[in-house]
Amino acid sequence: MVVDRVWRFFCSVRAAIAEIAILAILVLAGTLRGSSVPRAIADTFPITAPVVDRWYAWDVFRSLPFAGILTILAVAIAVCTINRAPGIWQAIAHPSVTTTHGFLRNAEVSVLFTAPTPADALARQLESALRRNRYRTMSQEHNGEIHLYADRWRFSRLATFPFHLALIMILAGGIVGAAWGFRDNEFYIPEGSVRELGHGTGLDVRLDDFSEVYREDGTALAYRSDVTLMRDGKPIQSGSMTVNNPLTFGDIVFYQSGFGQAVALRVEDSGGQVLFDDALPLGPFQSRLNPDAPAARMDLLPAGVALSVIAPDDNPANAPELDTLQLRPGEMFFMIRPLGADSPIAQPIGANVSQGDSIQLGDLSLTFVRERRFTVLQVARNPGIPLFIAASVLLVGGLAITFYFPHRRVRGIVSATQGGSVARLAPIARRDWSAKRVFERLADDVGCRIEISPELHVNEPLGSATGSGQLSRPSP
Amino acid sequence: METLVRLSFYCFAAATFAFVASAACYLAYAIGRVRLRQRALATNTGTILVAHEASLEPAALGVGRFGTLLTWFGVGFQAASILLRTIAAGRLPLSNMYEFSTTFVFLAGVVYLLFERWYGVRQLGAIVLPLIVTMCAYIWLLPADLREVNALIPALQNRPLMTVHVSMAILAYATFAVAFAAAVLFLIANRWRVAWLPSADLLDDLGFRAVTIGFPAMSLVLILGSVWAYRAWGTYWQWDPKETSALFTWLIYGVYLHTRSLRGWRGNRSAVILLVAFAAVVFTYFGNYVFGGLHAYGGV
Repeated sequence: MVVDRVWRFFCSVRAAIAEIAILAILVLAGTLRGSSVPRAIADTFPITAPVVDRWYAWDVFRSLPFAGILTILAVAIAVCTINRAPGIWQAIAHPSVTTTHGFLRNAEVSVLFTAPTPADALARQLESALRRNRYRTMSQEHNGEIHLYADRWRFSRLATFPFHLALIMILAGGIVGAAWGFRDNEFYIPEGSVRELGHGTGLDVRLDDFSEVYREDGTALAYRSDVTLMRDGKPIQSGSMTVNNPLTFGDIVFYQSGFGQAVALRVEDSGGQVLFDDALPLGPFQSRLNPDAPAARMDLLPAGVALSVIAPDDNPANAPELDTLQLRPGEMFFMIRPLGADSPIAQPIGANVSQGDSIQLGDLSLTFVRERRFTVLQVARNPGIPLFIAASVLLVGGLAITFYFPHRRVRGIVSATQGGSVARLAPIARRDWSAKRVFERLADDVGCRIEISPELHVNEPLGSATGSGQLSRPSP
Repeated sequence: METLVRLSFYCFAAATFAFVASAACYLAYAIGRVRLRQRALATNTGTILVAHEASLEPAALGVGRFGTLLTWFGVGFQAASILLRTIAAGRLPLSNMYEFSTTFVFLAGVVYLLFERWYGVRQLGAIVLPLIVTMCAYIWLLPADLREVNALIPALQNRPLMTVHVSMAILAYATFAVAFAAAVLFLIANRWRVAWLPSADLLDDLGFRAVTIGFPAMSLVLILGSVWAYRAWGTYWQWDPKETSALFTWLIYGVYLHTRSLRGWRGNRSAVILLVAFAAVVFTYFGNYVFGGLHAYGGV
């Protein structure tokens, strides 16, 4: 009983429409959260400020209600589709041939063919003419009359299945990608450096070269990273990537995301042991000494200090009053801070260093080797992509077939009369202007083929505006 | 190049004038003619009674035909404008709001003319053409520096995907505008029963047919946008506001199609959904002004 009730709920078209509507509302709420609209509402109506704050704080697309409605919708699509399948197959394979005079009389449009020939001869003529219009025809004798059924593009009714399957596949693709893939949004590599990719890939990535082209206004026109992928220290693939042209290695894809300035430096302790000899990306970390300047921070655990590096601020649009360092091009500011209780220094110590120079800070010797560039890559493995591609094809294909090859159906009864026979045909096209127009054309063509002038009957549909007799087609 | 860009703008200016004139014609055609009658009646007592009456009558067919002709002119000028800008930029003009909107104006005109021809309904122009004129006014109000042709930023440097993805968005919006016009006219025809307006059934069907073009186009927008995002950013869906507002629009039209095909909704209820859905289209179209995120570069 409960199972029946649940099944009926998921089969309910009304519930499905409500679910889509709720999903739409949640999507709207999430969309507005990413806009300035809620802030404008709060500014205009200060009383709404707490609600707006909570709105901004609510990540709709990662919330339980959103996941819930998506799940319910996916189940509803599956159940609804399964439930409709037998009916659709019945309409395709075994449609009901017989109809009633009432249906034909009350149809919004119908057509009469009067012939001096017997009913079976007229029925044969009509079937032949309909078949020439690529309609499948079926006939059946019933109560001394011949009932006709004709249809075209019947298999288009199946197109609803690939469309709805595609929606489920897109959701499944998202789940597969999240569960079995990985994604690194900010994979920094300074020029000449090697970074471990991780995620169980066993890969290292070396940035061999980075190049960029600028426009006159100083914005980047194009930028490119040349990288080498390595496993166990051995190069296994080299390649380049730009925005829109990722590099693929197996099922792992590397995307060019951004770039920036880096500093190559060497740190040695008092014993001459090298603690660091690589490049640091500048930018992700900002210092209070000049918040606008590119900066970096790194913990040197063996030395018990944290190292900060600040570059000159070369953007004249930035606030100069915040720049307490006044660095010149070619200089960097190095500073070490105590790290932990056992740190050998008690206070931060810092100084400006020119490129190529070394400086002693506490027990450490720091060398500003040179300036470099760094690239920011996005690295992803998404096993859900094939599902997404297949779903896209099914979705668009299903929609195209549903809309552009609609199932056209015609019913009719051929009756014997004193002088011969009469046939009345009508389309199944309640309040469907296009289907009625197609039927009128069909009736004209059938009339021409069987050489009987069709007599068109039009019933104005209930609830329709009076209009200007559009069934007779307005002239442009 | 500058000459071509300037010529392109002049063609757009000419198209604007043609669209304004055609909108006036279509409005006159749809509203009809106001006829004032004055009757003088002589009575036995020698007094003369004067009666005034006003009535609405269908406008002359020539007014509608003139509207169609002017729309063709507008579309022709706009086609020339787009062609010149395409030659100047070496790509279709689709990269900022100026270019997007000029192409929208062109496609909305083309889609409208096609529907006018298929259905023989000129009164639809009384809604669509004022919409096009409004878009022209918006384009005129955009900052003048947007009229210059600039090199594409790296994220947009994918000519095939940009051309198809953005063109599909414009096609979808244009057909949704026609569906919206059909819904408005339906509600007017149904409310006031104006004899010379098209039948409600025809308008209902016209709106549906427009959606059957726009909805697959909108689906392609989402799919191709995802494919592009995957190539450029490494993920096919980021819940970016522009993406989600397009999804919202798609869902509303999905509700329209489901209520129509499965619940048999026709008439007023369907028309109202089309109005709401078009509001979503407008929100998505101009959302760049209020959205942050990955599509912010397309703002203006």
